Amino acid sequence: MKIGLEMHFQLPTRSKLFCSCPTTSAEPNHNVCPVCLGYPGSRPSLNRKALEAGLAIARFLDCTIEERVWFSRKTYFYPDLPKNFQITQYESPLGTDGHFDLNGRRIGIWRVHLEEDPGRIKRVGRSGEEIAFVDYNRSGIPLVEIVTAPDLTSPEEAREFIDQLVTELRSLCGLEAQDEQSVRVDANISLGEERVEVKNVQGLRNLERALKFEASRQSKLLAAGKKVVRETRRFDEERKVTSSAREKETEEDYGYIGEPDLGEFRIGEMARNLDLKETPLVRAKRLVSSFGIGEATAKQLVLTSVALTDLFEELCRHVPPERAVSWTTGPISGNWAVLQDPAKWPEIVQIVKDDSDGRINDNEAKRRILSLAGVQQESALEGGDDLSKLISDFVDAHPEVLADYRKNPKAANTVIGHVMKESKGRHSSKEVVEEVRKELEKRV
Amino acid sequence: MSVIYDLIRHAQLRHRAFTEVVDVLDETKFHFSAKDNLCAVGFQARAGSAVLDGYRPPFDATPVSRLRRAGGQLIGKTTMDEFGFGTFSTNSAHGVPLNPFDVERSCGGSSGGAGAAACLIPGHIALGVSTGGSISGPASFCGVVGLTPTYGRVSRYGLIDYGNSLDKVGLLARSASLVARHFRTIAGPDPKDPTSCAQPALPEKGDMPRSLAVPKEALQNLDPSVHDAFQAALLKFKDMGTEVHEVSMPSLRFALPAYYILATSEASTNLARYCGMRFGRREEELNQHFNDFFTGVRSEGFGDEAKRRILLGTFCRMVGFRSRYYLKSLAVRQLLIEEYRQVFRDHDAVVTPTMPFVAPLFEEIGRMKPLEMYGADVLTVPPNLTGMPHISVPCAYVHGMPVGMQMVADHWKELDLLEAASAWEKAFDYRFPEVAP
Repeated sequence: MKIGLEMHFQLPTRSKLFCSCPTTSAEPNHNVCPVCLGYPGSRPSLNRKALEAGLAIARFLDCTIEERVWFSRKTYFYPDLPKNFQITQYESPLGTDGHFDLNGRRIGIWRVHLEEDPGRIKRVGRSGEEIAFVDYNRSGIPLVEIVTAPDLTSPEEAREFIDQLVTELRSLCGLEAQDEQSVRVDANISLGEERVEVKNVQGLRNLERALKFEASRQSKLLAAGKKVVRETRRFDEERKVTSSAREKETEEDYGYIGEPDLGEFRIGEMARNLDLKETPLVRAKRLVSSFGIGEATAKQLVLTSVALTDLFEELCRHVPPERAVSWTTGPISGNWAVLQDPAKWPEIVQIVKDDSDGRINDNEAKRRILSLAGVQQESALEGGDDLSKLISDFVDAHPEVLADYRKNPKAANTVIGHVMKESKGRHSSKEVVEEVRKELEKRV
Repeated sequence: MSVIYDLIRHAQLRHRAFTEVVDVLDETKFHFSAKDNLCAVGFQARAGSAVLDGYRPPFDATPVSRLRRAGGQLIGKTTMDEFGFGTFSTNSAHGVPLNPFDVERSCGGSSGGAGAAACLIPGHIALGVSTGGSISGPASFCGVVGLTPTYGRVSRYGLIDYGNSLDKVGLLARSASLVARHFRTIAGPDPKDPTSCAQPALPEKGDMPRSLAVPKEALQNLDPSVHDAFQAALLKFKDMGTEVHEVSMPSLRFALPAYYILATSEASTNLARYCGMRFGRREEELNQHFNDFFTGVRSEGFGDEAKRRILLGTFCRMVGFRSRYYLKSLAVRQLLIEEYRQVFRDHDAVVTPTMPFVAPLFEEIGRMKPLEMYGADVLTVPPNLTGMPHISVPCAYVHGMPVGMQMVADHWKELDLLEAASAWEKAFDYRFPEVAP
């Protein structure tokens, strides 16, 4: 089975692709201006942030990036398209010929380009008497389109591909949180000779369903010795089936010409100078190679939280990686809501370091971490939790120990033995010894 | 009312130069007009098309706002060919302007109303727009000075598009000095039109061209009276101490087809937005399929020439024809730019007649086929296709009708052309029709 995807994601900019209207949600037709309404005489000017985000994606996907790019007009008549042409990139995408590694397998990326979103049509009323409203708030919202080679081999893999890609892009350039649900996909799928395009599927779940339906439809046709017709099909979300869209357009029928109002953009230097953020899966790979930790662990870390991974790397500077792993994936991630506060990090590092150095034992280290997180353990509550209090209480009750200590420091062993017994091993002997000496020296 | 206002009304009523004029003149301001494809608050902007009837833009075109800010009053919108599609302003839904020298004759197009207004109203400055000669043509037929700046010199924000890679806002007036004064106001970068942001600053003063080149290919197929008048003008230039040399520019002949392919390709996409939604005419029944709805709006709203150019342009963009026509025309444009540059190594300007004949009678125009009309642009199209600045000045009068002479300079050298036009004015007296309102 061969599956290729064309995905559309909204780029996280504050203003639209070609005008300064906000991209936030609003009452219908409030975030509009002459440019995104296509008024005669208005003209586009490119949002630099959108260009940067698109270039970051193209570079992240290891695309070839040309020195100069331009935009094109794709002409078709539709009520949600104010100019009845869409400004997109045709001959001249931001990037071509890249790839994305999906669980160690290379998925080809054919192209990455920018385009403007049309508006949205809302139909109300009974079937046959519907009234159509058009909301142009979405008109001109910047989209990035990413087109893959037909390298995906199953609906599940297609879904996982987008899932991982979204994870990466979210951290790379801050794609919206709901992109798994809002991603718009055109998918090409073929089991035999001819491919079928399933257009305009929204969200990952629908994509997987549409592809599964289409895979089984095609395999039944082929099993029956019939041919799959090359066509465009639509996915019906309600009935979960695809049906022929009876569209005859091919890309060339849109009569593309260059968009003369925008001219050419020299993007080579801009692309080279972009500072790409390290994305989660790339970081996971680095953690595996730098610290020798398992791949699953590395992925768990980076997918839980960027900050948690930061703390992990910080811990690795002080303690062996396996210890950093057990602490971060254990008590620390278990109480991450509180411990994510960076003000608490130096203390966390100190506790883990003390544990690793043997200054305190694991139980005490865990108790301290939990206490830092505001969690009090049962065992800690009984028996009192303060080492110095335990010592001073004993010394107060046995003043002769102090007198003995003045003559012979070995007298400290009485106190140490008592405290070790009382604290039930919550403190390492090294720690108890140091604390007892300190207390006795103070009183002498 | 003032004498000027009487002249404005005369230009409107007798010569149909205006689609709309103001009711009251502000005597403290200078007065300018805008071609009806330039948006201006307070006026309709219909670009000569019924499809835009009733459209009142919510913003000013940048050249309009700059002239207003500089102390100008916009006194009216001037008539034009629908969306700029024409050479004689006869393709207009809002009145065909009549020549100031002879109302039986055309003002030229597509900025015909601007040419008439500039001629009929002393001191008036008219904003015109040229895509393939729509400033030079009317300037020539109406006997005024018409400056078409370099592509990208004047912001197109607020200009209703014909061919975006060719459209240029310029000026028409009775004298080069009047044009020069207001050209400084409207020129300069504007962030709302990115194509205006790559221009070099205007110099303090232009250089008087010392050597003029006359391409021999441009002198073919001229009306004999225009040919003779032009030769006489060249002699006068020589008398003024300017060198005049004949050159060859063999690629000029490709300019016209390349221009019509590019212009109509772009126009056919620009005009897609006129579909009866959001602005303009909407008389169609709403309760029908969108395709039927907009087809009705466009069938009723567009004139024949607009439909012809939409069909031509759509054809040129179609798969299979795109590389044969559209992409090849882009290559021709580059070729022609190179050819001009070659000439500008040894010469400062290329000079030709502006139009191959004087303003024709309307009855002659009525007998012309579309291709003959397109052919009338043969001398104005090359500098327009290459985005080079050019100026048309009156250089003779034949049977009482003005003959225009067009000078073309290299990109961004508008002021050199204005120097040449000023020098020319000192040697040659312009005539303007007697107006008795």
